[in-house]
This record gives sequence, C-alpha cells and structure tokens, in this order.
Amino acid sequence: MTRLYLSNDTSSRAAGTGALVRAWAERADVDLIRTSARGAFFLEPLVERDTPDGRLLWSHVRPGDLPRILSGEGGTPINRLSFLADQTRIAYADFGITQPLSMADYVAQMGLKGLDRARQLSPADIVKELHISGLRGRGGAAYSVWKKWDVARRIDADCKYVVANADEGDAGTYCDRMMMEGEPFRLIEGMAICAQAIGADQGYIYCRQEYPTAQKVLQQAITIAEQAGMLDLEGRRFHIEVFGGAGAYVCGEETALLESLEGRRGVVRPKPPYPAAVGLYGRPTVVSNVLTFATVPSILACGGSWYASMGTEQSSGTIALQIGGRVKQPGLVEIPFGATLEEVLDRFGGGMAPGARFKAVQVGGPLGSLFPVEKLDIRICYDEFAKADAILGHGGIVVFDDETDMVEMARHFMAFTADESCGKCTPCRIGSVRAREILERIERGQGRLGDLEVLADLGETMKTASLCALGGRAPYPVLTAIEHFGHEFMARHYPAMFQKENDHAD
Amino acid sequence: MIQTLTEIRAVLADVLKRVEQQPPNILRSLLAVQEAIGYVPLETIGEIAQHMGVTDADVTGVLSFYPDLRTRPYGRHLIRICMGESCLANHCTRVLSALGDELRIGLNATTSDGRFTLERVYCVGNCAVSPSVMVDDEVHGRVTPSDVAALLAEYL
Repeated sequence: MTRLYLSNDTSSRAAGTGALVRAWAERADVDLIRTSARGAFFLEPLVERDTPDGRLLWSHVRPGDLPRILSGEGGTPINRLSFLADQTRIAYADFGITQPLSMADYVAQMGLKGLDRARQLSPADIVKELHISGLRGRGGAAYSVWKKWDVARRIDADCKYVVANADEGDAGTYCDRMMMEGEPFRLIEGMAICAQAIGADQGYIYCRQEYPTAQKVLQQAITIAEQAGMLDLEGRRFHIEVFGGAGAYVCGEETALLESLEGRRGVVRPKPPYPAAVGLYGRPTVVSNVLTFATVPSILACGGSWYASMGTEQSSGTIALQIGGRVKQPGLVEIPFGATLEEVLDRFGGGMAPGARFKAVQVGGPLGSLFPVEKLDIRICYDEFAKADAILGHGGIVVFDDETDMVEMARHFMAFTADESCGKCTPCRIGSVRAREILERIERGQGRLGDLEVLADLGETMKTASLCALGGRAPYPVLTAIEHFGHEFMARHYPAMFQKENDHAD
Repeated sequence: MIQTLTEIRAVLADVLKRVEQQPPNILRSLLAVQEAIGYVPLETIGEIAQHMGVTDADVTGVLSFYPDLRTRPYGRHLIRICMGESCLANHCTRVLSALGDELRIGLNATTSDGRFTLERVYCVGNCAVSPSVMVDDEVHGRVTPSDVAALLAEYL
C-alpha cells in the first residue's frame, strides 16, 4: 500500500484535491492521507509520496495520473522546490507534513513544547519572554503583544478572557484560515499559554462565517485538546468556545468584535479603555489575531531571543505574506521581515501570470495603499511601511494587471467601506458614502471640477477623525490610486470639464 | 421546509431555550433561529425579544446590522461570488456576468424555481486559487465564465 499525501485545506480542495480523493478512494493499493496545505497553491492539486530521501511531489494532478505517481515517474523532490526552500517557516513549519487533527503528529513536531515550558514559568516570566521576542500583533495594528498580556496579568478580576480574532476579513488574506484548518492545536496552545500568563478561565475564537471548515476543525480540535489534558492549567480547566460571526467586516476591529461576541451590533467602542483592561463583559481581555497566538508556542519553546534574532530591529521574527492576484505563483510565504516587496514578488510570486503585465500591487487588504512599479523597493517591515504612510496589515499582497481600471477599483474600495462602516463615527459613516458618490460620478464620466480636491479633503478628515482603522485607513487605497494613476481619473474627468467650459462660454 | 407561522412558532421556543444564556446573547440566538428555520421571520421579533428579556429594538438592531442574518427565505443553494481584491484582480466580474446570464437573476435575488440565491461576499480566503465561487459551504477555485454552467449543474 502506497501512502499518498493530499492537502485537505479549503483552497487545495477548491483547486481539485477533493476530486482526486473521490476518484481514488476505492483503490486498495493507495492510502490517502489528508494533510494541511504546503501553501504552494499554484501547484495544487498536488500529491506527495514518501521516499527514503524525503517526499516527492506531483503538481496539477488529474485522476488519470495515479499510475505515473505509483511508478514514481516525474516526481520532484520537495526540498528542490525553491518556493518552499527559500522560506523560513516557523508558524507554518509543519504545513503539508502533518494531519490537522492528529495530536500525535503535532507532538512529533514541536507541539506542546511551548506550553510545557510556560507551565514551568511564572506569569511574569512568560510575559518577559514575549517582551524579549519583540512579537507584535499580526492582525494589522502591530501592537506589542507583551504589553497587552502584562496589562491583563496585573489586574485583579473575578474573570479574565482570552479572545482569538479569527475574523480574517481583509480581502487577499488567508493565513489564519490555513492555520485554523491546518494546525488548530497551535492556535489552541498559544491561547492556553496566554490563559496561563494572565490567569484566564475562558477563551473564545471569533471565527467569520465564511470559514465553515475552519469552524468545524476548531471544534473537533478543542475536544481533542481537552481530552489530551492540554487545557488543564494549574488545577483549573481553560475552556475555549468557537463563536461564528455573521458577515460584518468591522467585527475584525477588536472592540467591535467584543460587542459582537456579547451578541450586540458590532459597533466600535471608543478607546481607551483598551480591552486588555476593560474588555469582554468589562473584564480584562487579551484580544489577538490567530497567527499572533499561533506564533507564541514557538517563542516559548525556543526562546524570545531566538525569535528576535530574525527580522529587523523594530519588526522581529517572520511575517506570513499571502500572495494573490495576477502573479504566476500565488501562495503563502513565511520569511523574516526585511526583504523588499520586489524581491518577494520576483522570488516567490514568480513574476506575472502568463500574458499579464504589472500595473500595481496592494499590500494590507482593502484598506492598504497601492504601490506602482517605481515603489517596489520598499522593505517589508512595520517601520518602513509606517514611514511610507502604508500598512502591512494582515500580510495580504494582491497584484493587479494592466487590464485593471483604477477608477473602478477606487470606487470599489470606497463602496466597501461605505457598506461595512459600523456607523458609530461621522467621518466614516458619512465620509465614505460621499466619497463613494463622487467616485461613482467620475466612473460614469460625469466628474465635476474640484472632485479630486474634495476627495483629498474628505480623506484627510476621515484619516484624522475616525474612531477606528476602517474609517482611518479607507482613504489610502483611493488616494494612492489617484496619486499614482491620476491620468486615468483625469481621462474620465476631461469630457465633463470640457463640457463645463463650454457651458461658461455660452 | 418550515413555512407556516404556527410551525415557526413551535420551533422557535425550543431553539431559544436551547441557546439561552446569561447575560442574553442576541446574535447567538438569532443565528440559532436562522439555522433552524432558514431565516429570521420579522413576525417573530416580538417573541424573540420577550423570551430573551430585551426590547424589540435591541433584536431589530442586531438583525439589521449583520449581512448574514436574513429576514426572508432564500434558495435551496446559496451562491456567493467573491468580490475580494484577488478575485477582482483575476476578473471575477466576468464570472459574475456569466452567473447572471445562466441564472437570469441579479445579485441578492433568488431564481423563480427557488433553487439558487445569488449574493456577493468580500473574500472567502481562497485568494491563491481565485476567482472563487462559494456554493453553500463548498468553495470552487479558478472559476472561469465557461465553468459556470457545469458548476451549477452539480447542485440540484
């Protein structure tokens, strides 16, 4: 019997691994093992098998390829795949190797080593380890993780909470979904370490409803983790519950998320107080992104200084970039901070998809800035992006080709914010609607004199006066589109301007 | 399929009891009602509010806030076409046109035979295999306009 490895990740199935499994399920000569995903989605559906020298892989497999795979014909050694070999995998080290719900697989890699170490440390020392690591939140705000934990740890309360933000709403991102589907124990372990450090009894994973598979896998993983004693902390049980969202993007903002978790409208709370002090039901609550929690076990297991030895001074460790759009090789890339955007697109993205020509790249989701080809030399780290008035956000990188209409995209970005604004603060609620109306007008070729100036003015107000990042960041993709592709806006404008001058002449 | 208000009322009380918690959680209760009935009938708001000890306005507020809480029944299969950036970059609007042509409906509408409801979604996290179309809980990747007819044929 030959063991064949196929990923059970949603994107792998969407690319066709499910069809292979259906076609081969009845075969007596193969044993189909469903693993997490390698992240090399451009090769999916891909199939791997063991050899004494490591695994061989076959890409773009069709059901009829089975005889070829069984005879070993045409397989590529996995370690010769530069897309994977050039990465520094920490949080995603086991991806493609292990089965998501196998505790034995998890422990056979580095699983539970971080929690074991945390059990031997005092809460203050756990936080110290995170401080040394320099880990910053991976959800978008990039706040120092140890500070949140320290605030929650120091407050005496009848009840404290650990909340994983699994509302991965930024379009173009999927690293949290991969983590929840592929190695749920890593997220659970990170949350347990946090509970140990701050003294929490209850945890929640707020998972968006667009991720039904992730929710199911998490629920099963929590049961297995409980049975394995992973959630027994100093004589008490740390409970984790999965809470499904209901399609509101703004619930990825931590205070809106807490409102939603309490069952109300997902409306942003003014800060301060911050959730670490006054969070869920008014209690100290650490809210962090899935990948942030999933990075913690490695830091505890290998030490904060080991983690800080990678990346740059202000951005330590690795970042999970998710490359999508019109590139040849879309997929998940985990590398130390510090590489330039251009290097990442060339080395991992593999250049443009066949027949496509580069126009722009957006980094950081629907609120992220657009970069034209002249600006690709920016280094991927928090400080350089902040200096350029851009964000890394959740690590999403989407490449657009020259068929993309930038006016249409700008209208799309602002329409998105207008749709998703929670309505609490005026700049976002009204500003986004007015800006969308202007962009719709320009798109129809009915732009008026001064429209672009009004957009810039509105943008400034939204940036400075919005309560949260949704309103505060919404102008960036639009304003960077105008900055770098202004000629497209002007081309739509000119007919109307010309008309206007004629009117005056009459 | 639950249709009459009497049938709905019979299910409602059970569902609300099952998800009861202190303090009351309106979103969780409404999601449970939707799971059991398929949508949240506007006629039941008063009963839900009363059962939970909150006001009608509290319930209505939550119901209107979340895009995935529905106040009308939808088709047997829910098609959600992804309008996230990676799908847009890969020209998903062409897939949307093909879906519209095939189903003869626009966005947020249900086919006259009740088979499909068509909605859009901002990202299903399948960006490396885009454009994406999600039907019920299943995600389809690298969908081209010419794939649409065969894809729909899988769902009766």
